[in-house]
Amino acid sequence: MAQRLSRRAFLEVGVTSLAVAAVPTRVRAQAGAIRLGTLTPLTGSGGNYGPSMLKAMQWVAGEINAAGGVLGRKLELVSEDDQTNPEAGVRAARKLIDLDKVAAIMGTWASAVTTAVAPLCWESKTFLTTVSGSDTITLLPHQGYLVRTQPNTQLQGRKFAEFMVAQGSKRVGILAVQAPFALPTQKIVGEELRKHGAELVAAVVYDKDKTTFRSEIDQVLRARPDMLYLNGYTPDVTIVLKDLYKAGYTGAKIAQAYAVNQKLLNALPPEVTEGTFTIAPSPAIESAAYKRLAQALGNDDLDPYSCQTHDHISLVALAIAHAKGESTGTAIRDHVRKISQGSGAHVESAVEGLKRLAQGKEINFDGASGPCDFNEIGDILDTKFRYEQAEKGKFKLLKIA
Amino acid sequence: MPREIAQLLLNGLMAGTILAVPAIGFTAIYAVLRFPNFAIAAHLTIGAFAGWLANVSLGLPAALAVGVAFVVAGLAGVLNDELILKPLRPAGALTTAIAAVALTLVLENVVRFVFGNDLRGYDLPIRRDWQAAGLRIAPQQVHNFVIAVVAMAAVFLFLAFTRTGKAMRAVADNPMLASVKGIDADRVARLTNFVAMGLAGVGGVLVGLDTSIDPLTGFRVILSVFAAAVVGGLGSIPGAVVGALTIGVGEELSLLVLAPAYRTVVGFAAILVVLTLRPRGILGERAY
Amino acid sequence: MENYLVAMAVFAGLYALLALGLNVVWGMTGMINLGLVGFFGLGAYASALLTRAHRAPIVLGLAAAALVTAAAGAAMALTTARLRGDYLAIITLGFSEVVRLVASNELWLTNGTDGISGIPGPWRGRVTPQTFNVVYLAIVALAVLAVFALCQRIRSSPYGRVLRAIRDDDQVAAVAGKRVIVFKVQAFAVSAAILGLAGALWGHYTSFIAPDVFTPLVTIYVVLALTAGGTGNNVGAVLGAALVIFLMEATRFATGWVGMLKPVQVAALREALIGGALLVVLRVRPRGLLPERLARS
Repeated sequence: MAQRLSRRAFLEVGVTSLAVAAVPTRVRAQAGAIRLGTLTPLTGSGGNYGPSMLKAMQWVAGEINAAGGVLGRKLELVSEDDQTNPEAGVRAARKLIDLDKVAAIMGTWASAVTTAVAPLCWESKTFLTTVSGSDTITLLPHQGYLVRTQPNTQLQGRKFAEFMVAQGSKRVGILAVQAPFALPTQKIVGEELRKHGAELVAAVVYDKDKTTFRSEIDQVLRARPDMLYLNGYTPDVTIVLKDLYKAGYTGAKIAQAYAVNQKLLNALPPEVTEGTFTIAPSPAIESAAYKRLAQALGNDDLDPYSCQTHDHISLVALAIAHAKGESTGTAIRDHVRKISQGSGAHVESAVEGLKRLAQGKEINFDGASGPCDFNEIGDILDTKFRYEQAEKGKFKLLKIA
Repeated sequence: MPREIAQLLLNGLMAGTILAVPAIGFTAIYAVLRFPNFAIAAHLTIGAFAGWLANVSLGLPAALAVGVAFVVAGLAGVLNDELILKPLRPAGALTTAIAAVALTLVLENVVRFVFGNDLRGYDLPIRRDWQAAGLRIAPQQVHNFVIAVVAMAAVFLFLAFTRTGKAMRAVADNPMLASVKGIDADRVARLTNFVAMGLAGVGGVLVGLDTSIDPLTGFRVILSVFAAAVVGGLGSIPGAVVGALTIGVGEELSLLVLAPAYRTVVGFAAILVVLTLRPRGILGERAY
Repeated sequence: MENYLVAMAVFAGLYALLALGLNVVWGMTGMINLGLVGFFGLGAYASALLTRAHRAPIVLGLAAAALVTAAAGAAMALTTARLRGDYLAIITLGFSEVVRLVASNELWLTNGTDGISGIPGPWRGRVTPQTFNVVYLAIVALAVLAVFALCQRIRSSPYGRVLRAIRDDDQVAAVAGKRVIVFKVQAFAVSAAILGLAGALWGHYTSFIAPDVFTPLVTIYVVLALTAGGTGNNVGAVLGAALVIFLMEATRFATGWVGMLKPVQVAALREALIGGALLVVLRVRPRGLLPERLARS
């Protein structure tokens, strides 16, 4: 009996899913749904980050839809994997633009993928939101069809340098992964340190796919730094931290919050990560957006990138609402700065913002990653940063400034 | 300066030992089955995750986790070979090698499907380096070195002195003659796969101890493993160890004159030099 | 919809060029090239640098890409002349890594990992993106046709017979009085030129190249394409390339139907399906969908 039941249940499920499969996506989508694309790395070297970035966007979409959607229209997310490869990313973007006709593509991570996908977006008037940090991205001729929530290297380099000096560091060493931001960061950090009477004593750029960085570390430690800036991603910074511990390094360490995140702290013994400082763009006060996202995703998934993609979809939804429901890339471009900055009422969630907009009020959205105010080329204006320190495998908040 | 070079040499030897164990597996399969089995990358990852489950979920100590990794990766190797690669062998060595690449793509994603992309680390203390005379050496790397040497010696002795080992050599040298003599080539292939993929699995745990593990763990090191086996002489067991150490030391010494980002280039330049001087690798291609 | 199909046809055409190029060395001459993405990248950079920095016409860029990669291919064949197949595999693989690392580190030339953006494309910006797409498809189709015709000619000529003789047994070919090394160098140069051309076309199509584009994943896809299509068979190479693009794209829709899975699981399933499908092809037709058929000579 049980067996028969389960078989019948199985058949039913099978038939239903076949029926669903047979109906073209366009019909299945609710009439008038707003379709948005996500393009995050789910496989390849960015695969550590993409899944939680996507999760954050799905959560926001769910919240908005549960609250009645954008002017009564549901959000429909179409998610593609960029495989952390520009070639695959371009193909996926073509599908999102040409087939799904999305109004915006959100969440590109690798700078190379963003730069490859960006021309398709501005040529076809699709809006692109990204977390890539390379300075050159916002300098592309994107006609306004691009914003990024990641501070550029100039801003970050300055903040890192100021913080390191404030910690009393005089001699700083940098270990950086081979990436577009490596050398520009090195340059700006060096200049800023000099301004404050400190010095960049050594800098090494390494190849991320190695199993050990002992010699690179020796090379930097020979300059006797009192502070090390680990400018890489989670997989390689994991190895660097282990090798630093083995080498007996006891000086200060600082890293990007997206590299040294809770997942990294969970994966390493606490004595290896102890005392590591992290810096991430952050909302000015203890933001409600940040807390609610943390609650929804669980602390482990709450890295700076997920906070940023949370803001991407919120900005896009609010811009569409502000444009009276016109769900096109051009409308988002023309309206995104009208909801992200200015003198409107301060809101911290997309749902709250949509409510205010429906009442005919102006808003100024501040997200989980910061105030989300953009200049004309799509870079964020000065933002607050969150300074944390690893303590016994957990983060301790030092300050937000 | 001499101290710096000595430290680089040490670092190179330590980096090399980590490659040696999977390189032995790679070269053993080549010796007996005569094709480069790139699926060693996936089995390295499988071993790393099996060891992780044993260590973190079941709370087993490191030595047992290594054992679990060996058995799980070994069994996976036998299964994958029987079901997927063996039927393709008549189509030629290169076809089989390419099928092994496709197999790696599948297995890597099976691991990703089950475990996701999150980084995982073993629940083991990390020890500080031993320091003496201004030089430092990691206890873990010394263990790795011992494991590599023991694995090499075990495989080597097994091939040289046991009945089955002799059968394996016979198959490697001349499969036709071996079958005439009544040696069961299938059984030999299964045994080879078990041992070789098991070693890959052990290699996965060793890599994981130094780094952290995710579905790409095997893919990241396979180029170096392949290079090590080739430099030493494809099919030569001691050659795999010598090759791994050569690659490790060569890459580190290059730091004296080149930027660290170019380390991989030096590895390949070393291969070109070695192969130009000795077209069959440092130790030639004899298995034992 | 149409625009998407046209774009995928362009990618299929570029993969077809790569597969045809690989077929010249591997299918016809029996030399493995696991570093084909290196030649692909070299060609892309050669043309991009020439047309962007020096404002050369695109046609000149394509020609330069073919020339530079042909020279690199010839040099590769000369240095590896004494090496056996498996060793050639690692050397070529190493070459592609070297290209990627040089492109990442020599900022003065390649702009490093930031890549080169704004590479010109024929009539890009002067026509609508849709028209550009169609124009480019025509260009790529023309290139595939020309290269295909060239490969077919090589294959059926006496020259092609020598290559096959070398593939089957280079000792015998040498004994028969053929200067094996000359043939190998020529074959490698022709093959590399085709790969370089494909790279240049990729750059002018997408307008952006970076070291990250030229990863071993592309090599894997192309090798699988040729193997699935039929090594040694030019029609098979084109068919295999189309099949790989079809699989990669079709799996997007197939996996859309599986509910209950996390996105990362769907992505994993998709990559696994691509690998799995090729294993099935190899199992059912070990010599590819269109095995090489040779007239008895």
